[in-house]
Amino acid sequence: MSAMDLFTRLAESHKPDCMLSLEGPAPEAVPDPEVMASVLGSDAAGLYAAACRPVYEDLRRIIGQLAGLLILARLTARPEVTGLAEMERCRARWSDAGHRLRALAAPAGLSRHKAQLESAHAFSGDVMRAFSDLRPAADLTARLDHMSLLIKRAYAHLDAASSQRARLQMVDFSHACCSCASQHSGVDQQ
Amino acid sequence: MADYSIWVCEYSYVSKYHKSGVLYGAHNQGYVKLPYCYVVIKGRGHVAMVDVGYNDKAYGKVLGDRFGVENWRSPKVVLSEIGLSPEDVDTCFISHAHFDHFGNVEDFPKAKFYIQEREISKWVWAMSLPDRMRWMMVAVDPGDIVRGVDLARDKRLVTVDGAMEDVLPGIDLHAAPDSHTWGSMWVTVRNDGKKQSQDTWVLAGDLVYQFSNLKNSGAVVDVETMYTPVGLAVGSQSNLILATEEMMSQVGYEDRRVIPIHEEGLRDTFPSRITKDGLRISEICLADGEASKVA
Repeated sequence: MSAMDLFTRLAESHKPDCMLSLEGPAPEAVPDPEVMASVLGSDAAGLYAAACRPVYEDLRRIIGQLAGLLILARLTARPEVTGLAEMERCRARWSDAGHRLRALAAPAGLSRHKAQLESAHAFSGDVMRAFSDLRPAADLTARLDHMSLLIKRAYAHLDAASSQRARLQMVDFSHACCSCASQHSGVDQQ
Repeated sequence: MADYSIWVCEYSYVSKYHKSGVLYGAHNQGYVKLPYCYVVIKGRGHVAMVDVGYNDKAYGKVLGDRFGVENWRSPKVVLSEIGLSPEDVDTCFISHAHFDHFGNVEDFPKAKFYIQEREISKWVWAMSLPDRMRWMMVAVDPGDIVRGVDLARDKRLVTVDGAMEDVLPGIDLHAAPDSHTWGSMWVTVRNDGKKQSQDTWVLAGDLVYQFSNLKNSGAVVDVETMYTPVGLAVGSQSNLILATEEMMSQVGYEDRRVIPIHEEGLRDTFPSRITKDGLRISEICLADGEASKVA
């Protein structure tokens, strides 16, 4: 191996605890569906922007839930979270999101956006399957470490697909203590 | 004898916030300034914080554009005003998981974080609800929970179930379930270190936004003042009032000892100064031997 090869290898390889060490398309900035729709005047892009919103919302919730369950599984050392009703609902939502994703038609220029959603869906699915494999009394540390990487990767993909303009946002600010719904809506609610 | 110094550090603000958001039922009463702050507690060999604010990279643009949130400064800049850096912070008490309180853990690389377990478990529950109940899941960023996964892996996250005494010497955590959020908590500093302290401070998180929540007009029931809850509760206003009563009883009903962090009026009650960045530092108390940071 040449010195250049070694340098390139060191520079480009990720540590095992880095989420980018996982295989699959990288989380990357992608075109904003709303911008594409307005710049191109494309109905298809507009339709995509509207249709991907419920998928995004499903994934946002799935990732939030799984992250919370991971914290609880780690800190309580109880893998029983797998059997909670919330996990069942999470699985159902993930399944629905999969159907919607498959039905989502991405026009030219937005296929990379859809790919980010697909990756977020795939990695969150991996976390769910890993939850199902957890067994009581086993040493969960290594498994939970790997699941932590998976959920971070899922989040990174969803974050890459986020767009304020297309209303694909991680946080609902509308009733936050620091926000003001009346300013947002332009309607004085006082 | 005081063990700890306490400062309330403003890191951003919204100039015009509807008063009914601060004070339940205050409709048609205009707007107030709403500072965003966190609390720094220093003493007994520790630097602790109540809440860590939000990260402007993640939220700054949307908050600025949509809600008029102004003048965000990083913890590095804000803490330097009291001679500290984020790396000095060893303990963070997260009063609740809203993005503007739990949204910047990455800026505190050496801190251990404490949060109520219920705040996490009920979040998981709320996120599982149907879309028509989405109101119950506002203001929390899944990304903050994802970052909590890393903290847990690194043994830097502690979930607390209810009250916890002496988390640091003389510092206790108290739960207010189903109030502002599902698992809100407040921090009590017994600054003389005694169990029956005569020098107690309560750091209220968002259970109290402003002093008016502790002392609003009670004319409606022919009393001088009464508690009035904050404008937002995913739990209940009753639980906010009950938590307020417990906080007030801890400080012997001396309302200036319950410290709200969205309160511009801290300047009228405690020594304070405006920094070169236009943000306020309020000095709640000083430990023995500590020099003032606002003089």
